[in-house]
Amino acid sequence: MSALAYLGCVGLITALGVGLAMQLRPPFGHAVRQFVGLETEPRANTDSFYAVRVAPLLDSRCAGCHGARMQKAQLRLDSFAGLMRGSRHGAVIEPGRIKDSELFTRISLPASDDKAMPPSGKTPLTADEMTVIRLWIAAGASGVQRVVAGAPSPVREIKLPEVDPRAVQKQRAPLAAAVTRLQSRFPGVIDYESRSSANLEIHAALNGPAFGDAELAALLPLKDRIVWADFSGTAITDASASALAAMTSLRTLRLSNTKVTDTTIRALAPLKALRSITTAGTGAREVALAALRQRGLAVYGGGDAQ
Amino acid sequence: MRNDPIVTDPVPHVRVWDLPTRLFHWSIVALVFVSWLSADQGLMTIHLWSGSALLALLLFRIGWGVVGSTTSRFRDFLHPPRKVAGYLKAMAGGEKPLHAGHNPAGGLMVVALIAILLAQALTGLFANDGLHFSGPFANWVSEETSVQATTIHGAIFNVLLLLIWCHVVAVGFYLFVKGDNLVRPMFTGKKPHSHVPAGLTLNFTRLYVALLLLVLTAGIVVWIVQQGAVL
Repeated sequence: MSALAYLGCVGLITALGVGLAMQLRPPFGHAVRQFVGLETEPRANTDSFYAVRVAPLLDSRCAGCHGARMQKAQLRLDSFAGLMRGSRHGAVIEPGRIKDSELFTRISLPASDDKAMPPSGKTPLTADEMTVIRLWIAAGASGVQRVVAGAPSPVREIKLPEVDPRAVQKQRAPLAAAVTRLQSRFPGVIDYESRSSANLEIHAALNGPAFGDAELAALLPLKDRIVWADFSGTAITDASASALAAMTSLRTLRLSNTKVTDTTIRALAPLKALRSITTAGTGAREVALAALRQRGLAVYGGGDAQ
Repeated sequence: MRNDPIVTDPVPHVRVWDLPTRLFHWSIVALVFVSWLSADQGLMTIHLWSGSALLALLLFRIGWGVVGSTTSRFRDFLHPPRKVAGYLKAMAGGEKPLHAGHNPAGGLMVVALIAILLAQALTGLFANDGLHFSGPFANWVSEETSVQATTIHGAIFNVLLLLIWCHVVAVGFYLFVKGDNLVRPMFTGKKPHSHVPAGLTLNFTRLYVALLLLVLTAGIVVWIVQQGAVL
């Protein structure tokens, strides 16, 4: 046999082998066909039901093992193309045919089954999430369709900001000594707004009539950080008006059942952050409170009602 | 070591391959197939055993390349690139250079296959299948490293397939174009005397040396796997 004839035979056999591999390994087949331009890569619209509802589920539950980092069974579920391409064992989605869709079969198996996905130890999909995938496949597994009838409403995910303890500590540092000293003087009265905040809450109502103007004045070193203050039932008077007006970060102020009057209410006018004030049982009159209401403040318990 | 002077006439065949080298060759063929099949079918315990056996055999072959028979030794078939190029040029020119063991191009393929199989076996020790199976040393490294090892393990297999294809095509070329059957000697250990340089003396290392070496390399691999399983 001549070298040329032999190489021809090798080329033919290799081509047959590649063809066979393309049949036996669908992802390989799709990749080759797409490479030579015989097939276009399927894409999904960004506003499609797939992109909005299905892809996030696959990304969060499946793409760890079937994504860019790792492709178990040569399956990628981090893209519409990868999903429709299937695994080395064949298609995992059969549009319109739930029972023939390997992906749905796997995610609906009991956790005790070796073939269940995600595998044991990983968070399984919820019933609603499985329903979303089931309905999408039943509706034709489209990358364009925007609405799938009967799909459960999406669960709104609330992401809380990451707490950086060092940053919080740094924010609290300038007043930390004063806070500690005043917490010691007024037990239970002063507390931080939250674990992630340097802002302060004042619960002076706990001390009742024992908390007066002198005590409120003692809080002045903290004035820039006080965002919430409850002086209800304390002995404060209009003598504290200027001290209250100095608390420029105040958002909520409770003055119920104190001896404050219109003088204090008027003094609060510069507090731009103030959103809510409680004045039941005080000497504040509607004429003074009206100005706060005009600013959009929530005013509870007008003074005229007493 | 025994000296087997080549008798070219009237004996038609000459012994060129020792038994350990032949057993190594066909064992590797079988183990690569078993390793592929077991991984494909998710039979990971079998995969671990076949991979470990491969590693032991590769270490054996490296040792045998130093202490083995003449045609098994690296120095017999490892040649500088210039000599390999000269050999290929001679082949392309229609010449038929004679070699008792691996020819210079074949020697290069042997080294490449051993290197790629070794890399495959070693990365397998750190790989995981993302489900229920991890290589013996997967827990000794970070998850990220294990995932990288798994990716490399998969990628190397494709390179291995390419090398096997080249190997088979080259063997076919010798058989169908050059009329030199390289497969039969790998079974029988013997080549027709007309395919071997005249006057060549080949030395064959005794079998017990191969057995000792195999026990040693198998022991090393068992120890390695056990170390990994400790964690």
